Amino acid sequence: MSQVLSNFVRALRAQDVRVSISESVDAGRVAELVGFEDRQVLKDALSQVLAKTDDEKFAFNECFDQFFAFDQFKPPKPASNENDAEAESEQSADGEGQAGEEGEDQDGDGGESEGSGQPSDSGSALGSGGSGSDDRESAAEGSEASPDRDLTALLESGDDVELQGQLAAAGREVGADRIRLFTQRGLFTRRIMEAMGLDGLNETISQEQRSGTSAGEARADNLRELREAFRLEVRDYVERQLELYTANAGRQLREEVLSKINISNVDRRDFKLMQALVRKMAKRLLALNSRRKKKSRRGQLDVRRTIRQNIEYDGLMFDIAWKQTKVDRPKVVAICDVSGSVAQYATFLLMFLYSLTEVLPKVRAFAFSNQLGEVTDLFAEKKIEEAIAEALSVHGGGSTDYGQAFEDFEAIALDDIDHRTTVLILGDARSNFGDPRADILDKIHDRARRVLWLNPEGKTLWNTGDSEMKRLSPHCDRAVVCSSLNDLERIVSDILRTAV
Amino acid sequence: MTAPRVEITDIQDGFAKEGYICNAHIATAIFLARNLDKPILVEGPPGVGKTELAKATSEYLNLELIRLQCYEGLDEAKALYEWKYGKQLLYTQVLKEKLGDLMEGAQGLAASMDRLHEFDDTFFSEEFLEPRALLKSLWSEDGSVLLIDEIDKSDDEFEAFLLELLSEYQITVPELGTIKAKSSPIVFLTSNNTREIGDALKRRCIHLYIPFPDADLETRIITARVPEVEEGLRKQLVSFVQNLRDLELKKVPAVSETIDWARTLVLLHAKELDSEMVRNTLNVLLKFQDDIDNIDSDINALTTKARSAAE
Repeated sequence: MSQVLSNFVRALRAQDVRVSISESVDAGRVAELVGFEDRQVLKDALSQVLAKTDDEKFAFNECFDQFFAFDQFKPPKPASNENDAEAESEQSADGEGQAGEEGEDQDGDGGESEGSGQPSDSGSALGSGGSGSDDRESAAEGSEASPDRDLTALLESGDDVELQGQLAAAGREVGADRIRLFTQRGLFTRRIMEAMGLDGLNETISQEQRSGTSAGEARADNLRELREAFRLEVRDYVERQLELYTANAGRQLREEVLSKINISNVDRRDFKLMQALVRKMAKRLLALNSRRKKKSRRGQLDVRRTIRQNIEYDGLMFDIAWKQTKVDRPKVVAICDVSGSVAQYATFLLMFLYSLTEVLPKVRAFAFSNQLGEVTDLFAEKKIEEAIAEALSVHGGGSTDYGQAFEDFEAIALDDIDHRTTVLILGDARSNFGDPRADILDKIHDRARRVLWLNPEGKTLWNTGDSEMKRLSPHCDRAVVCSSLNDLERIVSDILRTAV
Repeated sequence: MTAPRVEITDIQDGFAKEGYICNAHIATAIFLARNLDKPILVEGPPGVGKTELAKATSEYLNLELIRLQCYEGLDEAKALYEWKYGKQLLYTQVLKEKLGDLMEGAQGLAASMDRLHEFDDTFFSEEFLEPRALLKSLWSEDGSVLLIDEIDKSDDEFEAFLLELLSEYQITVPELGTIKAKSSPIVFLTSNNTREIGDALKRRCIHLYIPFPDADLETRIITARVPEVEEGLRKQLVSFVQNLRDLELKKVPAVSETIDWARTLVLLHAKELDSEMVRNTLNVLLKFQDDIDNIDSDINALTTKARSAAE
């Protein structure tokens, strides 16, 4: 497979498109088949073998356009001086040490001698020195071009296509696809330009400058402008590479961190990302659990199906069918403490549950701090962010009273709890030294399929101070620590997995 | 070799002759499938012509179309092959009398068994094999178009069972060994996305997503499918449906419904849309009473919009 294509696959992976090895092999065969000449056909064809979901198709289209973008080389504009200054200062800020040289060239003092300029990139600028000296001789004659990498002639000819081609080739040569950091832009720009014969160009400019004739000076000026425009072009190219290969790397890292850290430590500015993450996790769970499971009850013969199934054997009953039961989707009742300390956990738990409506059609949510109220309708009517905000403002804020909350719950919803209901209680069990009414929890436990207590606090803190875990947890089937998104995902997927 | 673009256009034209109007994207998928020998997984909302695509391909390439409708509980006995038990039983009964002749002269049990062994293969030969869709397409001499419809309705096990077929065009039958395709069929799998298809399956396929067509394409489809509709009305009804799709509906009308509606309007000798006509025929387009009730108040506006768009 060609280098271009494997780079493209890497770029796709950076954009969250999952490309397996066999798929990239397919991509190679496709490219061989359709060639690179017709872009629309190539795009259609590649998208069909590489991107296999809606999201991936979308990412693919963006990535393709970006990756195979060939901006036309822009002719220098007089107004570009400002940009130069900006770009220049930006580059020096990069601290890569290249900017200084650039500035030197810019002055056109012509003092640059072979080798003095580029101590740091001697390796990558292979061959440019040689071509540079060629250029000098040829440039002295004023017209003849050296066969390859004559930047001067190329710029003056204005052959955009050829220039773009060489730019891409030089980019590959210096490994621009390996750019990782924002600060490397200057370095790579410089390297690419050198690989394309910057030395020769500079040489020509200073010679023309020195020649003293007005024609020579005019040419030097013109070349300088061309060089500047070209430099911007190269920078664009480098930035595109950076964008392509690393755009999502930062986000992926942050997502990984966010899914592990304690929810209460999540910064407010990361909420958007957290929500996206919850949705992503929920989607994964959906994919795993979307099919209704069946369970054979061995031992109970399904007479009707057995007879039907064995007609073809002349009625000999040797293919036996057992009665099956469909595994019910669990009904979930979530009781969430929304007082200050635990509110954020509740937010994400509810977000999770409500992202799963396809497989958890019956979720009822209750929120309390000192009094409990149902917030199910709120979530049905409003967007999840607004609903949560409202639930918090209505029910949050008071000092927590588990006893009162359980009493309210008993009054509102205890009758609706049956053997299919999973009850989730999210809270730190800190009841401000009030009676937590463990007896009501026991009643709930008797009726429900199971009761899970999710406590955001670490186990060592349970039963310290006003925490009532010791009195409440015996009435739960399980009490677990739930502090990060990963914990939440595990718990929810556990709920989904359970059979009748 | 001709340029791929030309071949793709050829496919498009060929499909057009069969009455299936498609864009280059869809034709590209067919082109790839034929050249790479890979199955196509077609996804998209219901009624955009996923199944039609397979039918059109079979007509265009002049190959037999073999269709396998998936459903929950579909197993290999129904999809691949089954033994003709009845026939086997019948033959054993009939041949019972012959058994004496066969055994004549056999000394002892061991010799009789050996004799019998010479024949037991006859009962598990292709003679007694009832080929189902998948096997039929593998056996087909000059290739076929195999349509595995609504793969998302089948069970996980069946999906896994298909993997061998899809990647190698072969299938392993315990009694007969591995059966290879005589010539590789063109395989279409369709899915309405009621559930996520497994990665393993997706990896083996070319993935084609067919969205709702744009106005231009839909007009051409109607032209091909319902040529009796006059041009003015055609533009109006396509524009009406396109606008309808932007509304929030339980089920947006698909291409097949647009075609049905066009036929209905032809039947009613409609020359152009008016809101009364729309109201009376709306149940062809929308399949939920809620949807019909919801847009009732918008019908006038939508009709006017469609009429002005068509001019």
